[in-house]
Amino acid sequence: MKNSIKVERAKKNWTQEDLAGKIGISRQSINSIETGRFIPSTVLALKMAKVFGTDVETIFQLEKTD
Amino acid sequence: MEPIKKQADRKTLIYSVLWAFVYMGCLIVLKKAELSKSAGILLSFVPTVFFVLFIYHYIRSISTMDEVERRIQLEATVWGFSLGLLLLMTLGLLDLVVVLKKEDWSFINLIPMFFLFYVIGIFISRRKYNGA
Repeated sequence: MKNSIKVERAKKNWTQEDLAGKIGISRQSINSIETGRFIPSTVLALKMAKVFGTDVETIFQLEKTD
Repeated sequence: MEPIKKQADRKTLIYSVLWAFVYMGCLIVLKKAELSKSAGILLSFVPTVFFVLFIYHYIRSISTMDEVERRIQLEATVWGFSLGLLLLMTLGLLDLVVVLKKEDWSFINLIPMFFLFYVIGIFISRRKYNGA
């Protein structure tokens, strides 16, 4: 699964720390998700979409291997 | 959210230190002092109370972690448990063919290894998820 968290953060001019604070997780966890090392739960993905003001599919996309 | 997490982490740290001190105290007393058998048995169970308190606060602190941190703790525990089990199984089999020195392989000496295995697990899973 790929994601566009970095792009969405750049649009808002947010650091990983800013995003982490808004959804209540650690900066390291944001980094793990952003780099694809951890796939978040539906709840966390929805929280992320909410703070970015977009839908989940915009942030997370399935790849052919998924 | 953050103060609750910090409070839970602080309590876990306090109770882990408290348990470690009580355990070490009991260990020293049992080794050095000449106690009656019943007093010795009673003293052996004293750290259990503090260990239960520590585990209670540790589990509470896990509930304040986010999902990535919980995964790291879960995988570290799996590593710790698996390596501990492997050690005991191997020692059990070795014990059938060679005489293991009690002063090297007693329960007292094995305990730190279980903590070491957990720390190894934390190191591996942190590297996996945080890349640190």
